[in-house]
Amino acid sequence: MKYVDEYRDPELGRALSAEILSLVEPGRHYKLMEVCGGHTHSIYKFGIDDLLPENVELVHGPGCPVCVIPMGRVDDGIALAHEPGVIFTCFGDMLRIPGSDGSLLEAKAEGADIRMVYSPLDALRIAKQNPDNEVVFFAIGFETTAPSTALTLKRAKAEGVTNFSCMCSHVTIVPPLRALLDSPDMRLDGFIGPGHVSTVVGARPFEFIPADYGKPIVVAGFEPLDVLQSIRMILQQLAEGRCEVENQYKRVVHYDGNPAALKALSEVFELRPHFEWRGLGFISQSALRISDAYADLDAEIRFTVPGVRVADPKACQCGEVLKGVIKPWECKVFGTACTPERPIGTCMVSPEGACAAYYNYGRFARERELV
Amino acid sequence: MHSEESASLECEPEHGCITCGDEAVELRVVKLDEDRGLALCENVEGARQTVETALVLPVSTGDRLLVHAGTAIARLQEEAA
Repeated sequence: MKYVDEYRDPELGRALSAEILSLVEPGRHYKLMEVCGGHTHSIYKFGIDDLLPENVELVHGPGCPVCVIPMGRVDDGIALAHEPGVIFTCFGDMLRIPGSDGSLLEAKAEGADIRMVYSPLDALRIAKQNPDNEVVFFAIGFETTAPSTALTLKRAKAEGVTNFSCMCSHVTIVPPLRALLDSPDMRLDGFIGPGHVSTVVGARPFEFIPADYGKPIVVAGFEPLDVLQSIRMILQQLAEGRCEVENQYKRVVHYDGNPAALKALSEVFELRPHFEWRGLGFISQSALRISDAYADLDAEIRFTVPGVRVADPKACQCGEVLKGVIKPWECKVFGTACTPERPIGTCMVSPEGACAAYYNYGRFARERELV
Repeated sequence: MHSEESASLECEPEHGCITCGDEAVELRVVKLDEDRGLALCENVEGARQTVETALVLPVSTGDRLLVHAGTAIARLQEEAA
């Protein structure tokens, strides 16, 4: 298949694997974080970690937007979904995220009108088709997804759709990365940067990683050769004593991002002073809220949202998984009490969650990691 | 022109959720609705969906777009790995 096969060529993969091997110093342990869930998914799906030397360890970052949504936020969504006359819309992955008293899917089974959509535009269409109902869209995602919500809110305003609103839980990538780098239990050598977030924000926002922390970051695509090549580029920087932002995904990512998307974001959203991340706690200026200019489309203003903070289940170690402190299978409930069918923690729900990726692709690899 | 087409694009968990995270799908523009800033696009299997094009203008029929959550976030360049 054109545009796919060339990024999955086994010969090129083996060649890159050999180059990676030649770049690592024996006896040195390399810990690289793939920031985004899409990369975690690619790594397990294609068995990329099996192509790496044993002393190159990949750590999963906080880049799955579903996995970082705290339970209280899910409860808020469920409360909105139970409001009379409300049609609550969200992406499919959110449906199974456990709140403190069930998931959106369970609320749907209890009679709430909750509908899965593939885009915010679909939610807006539902609003137009149901003028007697209030349609709420539960917006989640990093800067990749936020422009889609922004454009939909702009469209709703322009078209005068008054029965549509948005519960905004969009998050931003730089603050959690900074929080991770400031965390005393983290020791990372480099980052595989988030490819599609960078399509929107560009590679420039990551310059603080080499400038302030002295670590390399390579913005990477999602095909197996993209990921391997990015790892090679990081190791090359380390071998040469360099640390800078490099862009492996030039066929899609411009260094300064997408100006139209950034403009839409700045028009429609403002930074929240702080936002709670599952497992990471409160991080300042790490999420978006709807700006005053679009406040009439903000579901949190239109409705009463409980806004209760709920502690994560004690058995759940999603926070440590999200910080890369433990591997998914090291969690006490991994694969036993917590499975994709009955998840306790969010990392097991989304296919991009590190635990679900481990579980689905059988990447237990304990023998290797216990050595 | 929207609901039936987008319904044919099923969420496939084993391939990652197309609507969240850092996933994006490559689609080709089949037809443009320039007045509304939308394009009808299809994937390699022929499944179609309506896509917001405001972020990648100007768009022409036949362009390859990277689409995330119903919005084109980049136009793909003809470039090898």
